Amino acid sequence: MTAIDRPVMRRPQWHWWVIIPPALLAALLFGAAIGEVSIPPQVVLKVLANKVLNAGYAVDKIDEGIVWNYRMARAVVAMCCGAGLALSGVVLQALLRNALADPYLLGISAGASTGAVAVTILGLGGGAISLSIGAFSGALVAFAFVAVLAQAAGGGVGLRAAGVIVLAGIAGSQMFNALTALMITKSANAEQARAIMFWLLGNMSGVRWPDVFSALPAAMIGLLACLWHARALDAFTFGSDSAASLGIPVRRVQLLLIGTAALVTAVMVSVVGAIGFVGLVIPHAMRIVVGHRHAILVPASALAGAVFLVFADVISRVIVPGQVLPIGVVTALVGAPVFALILIGKRTSP
Amino acid sequence: MILSCHELGWRVRNRAIVNDVSLSLRPGEKLGLIGPNGSGKSTLLHMLAGIQKPSRGRVELDGAPLAKMRQRDIAQRLALVEQHADTADRITVRHAVELGRTPWLSALRGWSHQDDAIVTQALADVDLSGFGDRHWHTLSGGEQQRVHIARALAQRPQVLLLDEPTNHLDIRHQLSILELIQRLPTTAIIALHDLNQATLCDRICVLENGTLRAIGTPSEIMNEPLLREVFGVCGHFLVDPADNAQVIRFHTATH
Repeated sequence: MTAIDRPVMRRPQWHWWVIIPPALLAALLFGAAIGEVSIPPQVVLKVLANKVLNAGYAVDKIDEGIVWNYRMARAVVAMCCGAGLALSGVVLQALLRNALADPYLLGISAGASTGAVAVTILGLGGGAISLSIGAFSGALVAFAFVAVLAQAAGGGVGLRAAGVIVLAGIAGSQMFNALTALMITKSANAEQARAIMFWLLGNMSGVRWPDVFSALPAAMIGLLACLWHARALDAFTFGSDSAASLGIPVRRVQLLLIGTAALVTAVMVSVVGAIGFVGLVIPHAMRIVVGHRHAILVPASALAGAVFLVFADVISRVIVPGQVLPIGVVTALVGAPVFALILIGKRTSP
Repeated sequence: MILSCHELGWRVRNRAIVNDVSLSLRPGEKLGLIGPNGSGKSTLLHMLAGIQKPSRGRVELDGAPLAKMRQRDIAQRLALVEQHADTADRITVRHAVELGRTPWLSALRGWSHQDDAIVTQALADVDLSGFGDRHWHTLSGGEQQRVHIARALAQRPQVLLLDEPTNHLDIRHQLSILELIQRLPTTAIIALHDLNQATLCDRICVLENGTLRAIGTPSEIMNEPLLREVFGVCGHFLVDPADNAQVIRFHTATH
């Protein structure tokens, strides 16, 4: 039985590169058109043409300001965050062989909140440090703490090492959450506590174009690192020993990809707060839809995360008139039922 | 001398799991690795595969020290079939076997028809030709074990290390896997629990408490004192009248 009866298929993912740009553009238009003031899609397109191609269409200045300065920047950042968080989830779930792994597993959101609270409530840095930089620094400190703890616990290789990283992440998260709670209860007034709470659940209302310059490169680096290592991620299917016997330099790949995931997550958290659910559920949903091959799963998760977060942001703006919900609330409220439907649909289909 | 190790040892918390093991494989030979539970068989195989770093001694593949080789170069020449590798992912049998091509692919060298042919052949070799689209978690333990072997075959290795490959298999598939391994042109080390199956190998290596107790052809080393001292059983050596092959019958050692 040596007949080659199957053509070479599934591997070329060119069709993804045909689907992705239109899908992203559609999400962008949607994100820019809908809000408290509805702006027709053709106006959005004209603004886009004016700004990107210098087309010179006549557009109302206020509309242009809303679309470009406010909603477009917000939609682009939402896309970057959605893609970045989903990719971090893909990486951590694949490498740690743990279905519950998400980008905040490594203590990053806990550290970011500690950093943000230290800046806003304790006044660390005397006003010279922004909330974003505080959060970013906090996230990196927490990740370093978790990494050093995991290293010191000496997981060795294999499943034990993955278990040690998860446990170190939990310990780190608990400690930094406790620090945050301590600072809030000791020093914050009710108003500050509420603001911090809001920020922790994810908040995109302050997002402007400069935020794109940190979120976009982070998302691109995450995407490239994942695509480059797609086969290595596949090789972890049967655990890290099996990956090693398939020729993967396990330590180096783990260090590089987990480090990248941590960095990407830290950047996203510092820009928009700790938006939950995306990094945990988008990878699972996409595995059900497109399968487990990372050459397909990686672009699919990035795209789904990007589109999903734009939609979540739009919903957070319009669902309660006159009030913006934290986007983390929306991602969970919308995402959980959608995920449930996907799970059920998968079970009933053959 | 294709794969060899010298004074290989691995200690954990001051307990020697493998101690001072030296052996070298001859090209094409099948070496049976036997020993009671906990005698260090798996650890020795992991060190020979370059997955576990030895605490002392060295492993050489084609005369080059394994410790200095890239993992990818090792995987192109040597494949390991582990004992309990499992996954929660919903992957198909074919996808699992395709993973065996990983060391031969890179960002620049993509999947080709040749890779497909090798995967198809590997599936046929372990008698799983019709199973390509089955999902991993719908397979029995024995079928999963055969998929692991097919994945190792898809690596097209010169040396195959198998950690109890006949575990979980029914007798027909035990025999067919062992026959397959015998037929392959690759050099192989096979950790086995069935001592009668081990006598089919060219040479046998006996591990006891992590040390190399004996190595040699089955007729040289398989004898009653060894069975009693290493395995704690009595063995009677019988002759099968059908082909004059020697068969061992075991009894608990009462005296």
